[in-house]
Amino acid sequence: MPIKLTTQAYCKMLLHAAKYPHCAVNGLLVAEKIKEKKKDGQPVPILCVDCVPLFHGTLALAPMLEVALTLIDTWCKENRYVIAGYYQANERTKDYRPNQVAEKVAARIAENFSETAIVMVDNSRLTMSCFEPIVAIYDHHEQKNWKSREVDPDCFEDWCEAQKITSALLEGRNYESLIDFDNHLDDLRNDWTNPEINKSVLHLC
Amino acid sequence: MASVSELYDVGWEEMRDKLRKWREDTNRNSEQIVDVGEELICEHGSKLGDDIWIIYEQVMIAALDCSRDDLAWTCLQELKKQFPDSHRVKRLSGMRLEALERYEEASKHYDQILQDDPTNTAARKRKISILKAQGKMADAIRELNEYLEQFVGDQEAWHELSELYINEHDYGKAAFCLEELMMANPHNHLYCEQYAEVKYTQGGLENLELSRKYFAQALRLNNRNMRALFGLYMSASHIAASPKVSAKVKRDNVKYATWAASQINSAYKLAGRGTKENKCSVKTVEEMLESMQITMS
Repeated sequence: MPIKLTTQAYCKMLLHAAKYPHCAVNGLLVAEKIKEKKKDGQPVPILCVDCVPLFHGTLALAPMLEVALTLIDTWCKENRYVIAGYYQANERTKDYRPNQVAEKVAARIAENFSETAIVMVDNSRLTMSCFEPIVAIYDHHEQKNWKSREVDPDCFEDWCEAQKITSALLEGRNYESLIDFDNHLDDLRNDWTNPEINKSVLHLC
Repeated sequence: MASVSELYDVGWEEMRDKLRKWREDTNRNSEQIVDVGEELICEHGSKLGDDIWIIYEQVMIAALDCSRDDLAWTCLQELKKQFPDSHRVKRLSGMRLEALERYEEASKHYDQILQDDPTNTAARKRKISILKAQGKMADAIRELNEYLEQFVGDQEAWHELSELYINEHDYGKAAFCLEELMMANPHNHLYCEQYAEVKYTQGGLENLELSRKYFAQALRLNNRNMRALFGLYMSASHIAASPKVSAKVKRDNVKYATWAASQINSAYKLAGRGTKENKCSVKTVEEMLESMQITMS
């Protein structure tokens, strides 16, 4: 069942990309652990309520990625979340296809969560106003292929809200205070759950 | 919008000094440089003396990063007026063309510099950057290798090459570049730590042991390098968990991993003091380390 993005998840992804315009960035998407499916047999869409920005710059090295996955997995368990997806924005503006790194990390996530999705940010359409959704969502099909799906406002919990709040935070340069896992490793006091930004998002809702 | 000097209550000298610090640290905080630099140039240009030229260069490059072609053009014109035949300024012209994605013209610019001065390293490196921007990674790698055969001591180039190789998943060659950097900079903990990460990613028992050694070396050079500490923990844990090692090697690595885990815990406790949110971090790390210890033994 395809994933849906909340405002907080979408917003923080774009803030991460905006903070490091000259680097590739990546991160994890987390969803709430759902217990039952709807009674009429229709599967409940998976709602990605939050994202954890991971790294910027060189994404293709393993050790810190392993540390991040394990640490965030533990954090998820404490908060009844599950790692449900992976996002990436490539270094070059016109490059928006998932690469080997994206596929490898997603495959790793898929070991624990079968509906894992890859979300790629389309850098060339990243603007202050973001009138359209600028992500591509890839789902896993057989033969280990990732296929992109049509992205429309239905892929969001509330697209209008997401667009307005993301735009406001980009203009307000809130990305300057976004913390990713790299920042955390530079100084452990930096909190990768980004409570301040979460508060700002909530405040604007 | 309030000016920088109003927002942060600083005078022009502090702004100038901040720009110098950013130049020396080679930070790529282009938005800040544009904010501070533009105000400094417009409001206090006359007080800067000869410093103004290097500030024009710094602000111009930052302006290109922020798509501020108006500001970049102004700075470029001032520099062209002052230094009409300079190759250094010509290179900046080329960079502006690159920012506008006019790669063919930019390349011609650099070719003209190289015709005049075949040893101009800046122009050669810009040509390689164009290849990278166009996604021609194999060509960029080839050109950079040729460049390094001539200019063997160029640290920036070696580092750029190691990154290109990492992005192409050619970890063996990336390791070679980092070895060059480590030889030239034996006290730099960052190169040791990156080398260890590359070796770890390459995989295999031998590379894991090497990676552990270099994480340890990075820690010796800087005992606050968290990546090195985590890396030491991860590599030692994996070696201890491997079925191919002798009992002694397993014992030793369990010891290293346990030591690293306790250091990581202390570091988190130290960082978490005083903040409620970070207490969650401390607990999370403890649990993570415990769960990994179980899989290890």
